[in-house]
Amino acid sequence: MTTFFDYLLGGLGSGAIIALMALALVLIWRSTRVVNFAQVGQAMFTTFIALSIQTWTGSWYIALIGALAAGALLGVIIQYLVLRPVKRNDTSGAIIATFGVLIALQAAAGMIWPGGSQAFPQPFNNSGIEFAGRVWPISVYDFVVIGITALLVLGLTLLFTKTSLGLSMRAAAFNPEVAKLSGVRVSRVLTFGWALAGSVGAVAGILVAPVSTISPNSFDILLVYAFTVAVIGGLDSLIGAISIGVFTGLIISLVSGYSDSGNAPVVALLLLALNLILKPEGIFSHHKARSV
Amino acid sequence: MLTITELSVNYGAVQALSNVSIEVPKGEVTAVIGANGAGKSTLMRTLSGLVKPGSGSATVGGVTITGRKPEDIVRLGVALVPEGRSTIPELTVEENLRLGGLWRDKAARNATQVQVFDLFPVLAERRSMRADTLSGGERQQLAIGRALMSDPRVLLLDEPSLGLAPLIVTQILELVSRLARESDLAVLLVEQNAVTALRVATTGVVLNLGKVVMVGSGSEIASDEQLRHAYLGY
Repeated sequence: MTTFFDYLLGGLGSGAIIALMALALVLIWRSTRVVNFAQVGQAMFTTFIALSIQTWTGSWYIALIGALAAGALLGVIIQYLVLRPVKRNDTSGAIIATFGVLIALQAAAGMIWPGGSQAFPQPFNNSGIEFAGRVWPISVYDFVVIGITALLVLGLTLLFTKTSLGLSMRAAAFNPEVAKLSGVRVSRVLTFGWALAGSVGAVAGILVAPVSTISPNSFDILLVYAFTVAVIGGLDSLIGAISIGVFTGLIISLVSGYSDSGNAPVVALLLLALNLILKPEGIFSHHKARSV
Repeated sequence: MLTITELSVNYGAVQALSNVSIEVPKGEVTAVIGANGAGKSTLMRTLSGLVKPGSGSATVGGVTITGRKPEDIVRLGVALVPEGRSTIPELTVEENLRLGGLWRDKAARNATQVQVFDLFPVLAERRSMRADTLSGGERQQLAIGRALMSDPRVLLLDEPSLGLAPLIVTQILELVSRLARESDLAVLLVEQNAVTALRVATTGVVLNLGKVVMVGSGSEIASDEQLRHAYLGY
């Protein structure tokens, strides 16, 4: 039984990171009805930028701020250059275009930062905490990850429920026409949404890099998990992304612990398939039905 | 207040509105009536900026509104209550109202909200409930309330009677006409339900296949039997 709880504890940190990436997908889907497959590519790119900043300045905090800013900027650039021209008449075209952006970002990263996988320095102690006479499967760094995730979720919740900008974003997502008639500058609000999602994804990237490595393709598996989580959560639910994200982190940890970490993606895809069969609209969705 | 001059709108080869001119004075309700497909909704969507006109113009107090974006037109004092469910069901009653005047400064917005709650007490009672829990009539009141939150000089009402019980329609329209008189609001009402619309309207405009075929006082149009048969179908 102790092993079971140890595996659960060990999955919390990675669950929080998956949740953040899923959150970024949900933020874009809510406002534009586009699944942004480029999200992990954006996160990979901004994490490379963060790594450069960190090597340069030696400060993880400056790197984190740099990643946030780069994420927002990259999100806006992609929306302006790729999504706006395509989306005007075609949603599925827009989704395919995000795949194109992903490939372009990976190719560009390979050229700008050559040399394959690179290690991202550990900003905090990442070995298990010693407490009450034993070593626990959770580290100081895991607490930092969970703390940052919780802060972001709290901040986003306050933004959406308490501010005028948040109300504009929700209105623009639910009914752009009524939002426009009410005076909301919908296209500006959408651009802000891309910036916000870019920053959230960038945080997920910089948090996952120290526990994996960073290369142009190293976040691909994160896309699989985040996409699974976002769909199971209902694609438009922030709570769904967070809770299913953490849950998936725990499942991955259990599967890796009891069998082999190579089985984890298979189990995630099985969960996705089960969800699409039993509850295709997602567990936390606002909408009753969605064609899949 | 609202002056529409020779407005034409084309959807591809189809001319939805052709040379429509209407004067909507303040303090009164002007009703545009006509059968399905007469171009009534196109007129409303053009005035609010959702559809770009082919030619002609509309001005409010001398300022041209045609060709501008919806979010700018509402800032110039023209608010549309679109046809059907024009509230956002996922938001609460109060959020729907706040949305209507989000760009205004907070004090002015709050003052208008007090007036809207005075006008529609049921909205005050249900302020923290989601809009999809309201009845059809309450939702129409919310839609009008949302439009009023922008403190408009011109209120455009597109088929407010749609899907509502006759008694509720009468109540809502009488309230709108009182609002027009008391707050010096110019109201342009578009209705398929001619009888109800002409009862509250000072002036009636009959629209057929995108053209104005008659302008007259509400009672004049209601009593013109030939016209009723030809264009209004009753």
